[in-house]
Amino acid sequence: MGRIGGTGMTDLLFYALSALAIWSGWRVFRVDSMIRATFALMVSFTSVGGIAVLMAADYIGVATVFMMAVEMMVMGLFMVMFMMNPAGLNPMQMVHQYKFSIAAGVLGFVGLATAVLLTNFPDNPLPENRDTLRDLGIELLGGSMLIFETAGVTLLATMVGAVALSSRRGRFGDSDAGAAPPGLHPGGEPAGRKVEKGGGHGGHGGHGGHQMNMEKTKQDSSDDPHKGHGNMSETEA
Amino acid sequence: MMTFALAFAILILVLALGIWFAAVLDGVFSRQLSGHGTAGLLAPFHASAVYLTQQRLRTEAPDQLNWFLSIAGYLSVAAIGLAVVPFGPDLAVIGLDTSVVFWGACESLIVVLVFLHGWSPNSPLSLIGAYRYVAIGLPIMLPSMFVLIAVAIPAQSLDLRDIVTSQETVWNVIRQPLGLPLFLLLGLSLTLRGPFDYADSDDLAGGTSAEDSGANRAGWQVARLAMLVGFSAVASTAFLGGYLGPVLPGFVWVIIKTLVVMAIVIGLSHLLVRLPVARMLGLIWKILLPISFLDLLWAGLVALA
Amino acid sequence: MTLTAILIVAAALFGIGLFGALSQKSFVMLMMGLEMMLNGTLLAAVGFWAFTLEGAPKGQLLAILVMAVMAVELAIGFALVVAVYRKREADVIEGIGTMKQ
Repeated sequence: MGRIGGTGMTDLLFYALSALAIWSGWRVFRVDSMIRATFALMVSFTSVGGIAVLMAADYIGVATVFMMAVEMMVMGLFMVMFMMNPAGLNPMQMVHQYKFSIAAGVLGFVGLATAVLLTNFPDNPLPENRDTLRDLGIELLGGSMLIFETAGVTLLATMVGAVALSSRRGRFGDSDAGAAPPGLHPGGEPAGRKVEKGGGHGGHGGHGGHQMNMEKTKQDSSDDPHKGHGNMSETEA
Repeated sequence: MMTFALAFAILILVLALGIWFAAVLDGVFSRQLSGHGTAGLLAPFHASAVYLTQQRLRTEAPDQLNWFLSIAGYLSVAAIGLAVVPFGPDLAVIGLDTSVVFWGACESLIVVLVFLHGWSPNSPLSLIGAYRYVAIGLPIMLPSMFVLIAVAIPAQSLDLRDIVTSQETVWNVIRQPLGLPLFLLLGLSLTLRGPFDYADSDDLAGGTSAEDSGANRAGWQVARLAMLVGFSAVASTAFLGGYLGPVLPGFVWVIIKTLVVMAIVIGLSHLLVRLPVARMLGLIWKILLPISFLDLLWAGLVALA
Repeated sequence: MTLTAILIVAAALFGIGLFGALSQKSFVMLMMGLEMMLNGTLLAAVGFWAFTLEGAPKGQLLAILVMAVMAVELAIGFALVVAVYRKREADVIEGIGTMKQ
């Protein structure tokens, strides 16, 4: 375990990584920009992976970073898809039962910390020079192969289920059926730009629009010379 | 400590030489194929001087922190990926038991960083480039990891140093012929080149780097070339025997093999066509991934025989 | 770097995740709270393996299973989010309060 040059250095790295993990975990729920929240969570996971490497669980640490980078990338895409304010450019209030959840979080932490501080843990530390990677490999495909294969089949079932739930001819309607953004309040009109319908209507509207543009040009050229120029060249052409 | 300092010095040398070589070769290819651009041994320095003296343009409400982090991060991950390559017996800057998985983690971080690079300018074409890249960059990691596992099977270790030692009899490119072509495709994807250039493509007017200018642009282009160097070093270590070779010292062989792989990748990037995203997605999931399974199966059968 | 310190860090991560899971309105942020809780669990599992199990490989297996659970939860969770959105156009939790009186 004292792999990185003695216990002093290891302890320092551990404290730094733990501080980073907790701080970035807290920032996940405090930043306005959703992409920053996602990647703050990734930083938290990376720090936990680093702590695992310090504890000589090499494979788990590096695999955590690997998996979490990919997972957070996917989560970022869903974030942009499903949140109305992904970059945090408008302030939005996205919490409910705020005080209750702070209380629950603090209570959870205090309860677990008390349990940790009051328990006498057995002291069987990892022996030095134990080849943890080899141990893990032999265990995964040896004694615990049933568990590993079950996990594999579960992941396969997950993949099939996820595709089935979200495919184009989904179970809950066509995949394009929900392509309108949600209303600004629940049950309201879809937010966003409304696309005008009908090609024939556009033809008629084109003529009317042309006339309207000419009138607007006369009005607008007084107050906005740039716009006037643009409109005039459009109607002339 | 001495070996660390020596390995670090070799790393800087390889990075500098490789970036310059890649930039010159890129220039030569563009000149041959399209008649544009300057090709010359000092052309990269002229180009970077131009970029560095340009004004850095800003977009509206960009994510400045992530813009900087994505460029700096891309360069750092490229250097870290190069750091696991052994330049000689037990001469690697970062010596890990799990270097193959570490390289995989670097690959996945690259996808994250390219997405951030496209997200941060708050501009539509950049974001489209980032989205296209994520759709292609995530699945292309799968064949590369299977190919690396196939390389690790005869070495019985996930450590790149052991993988080089296992090639003392015959190189992996010969006993696992499907491995290197698949891995080169990963290289094209990691460095945003050629057929996998969905992030910075010309049909998006530069994609994720559409809004880059000045020092940002120079940083991103240098980072792409550094990634090319790192990837080529890992490819030459895993498939072409790394530092093994008759007369010259180990790290010179690493440099030569890295430059050869870089030349091949740059050639492929200028000569292969880029498919539409949906077709490329189908190609990766339906053809490249089963081929990588075959490669792994082949490696397993050879190991059991 | 004692077991107590590691477990307190894991408890802190768990507490932050609990706060996030209970307080966020949006589905995706709720899932980030759940991931945070699993983060704490992963750290605790690796800590217990390193300090009390003498490096028995089953401890590492538990950590790998926690990672598999994270992946499964993320995949099915997002598929459900997509399905709920298509059916009810709801992207916040208040949007699916159909069982409320």
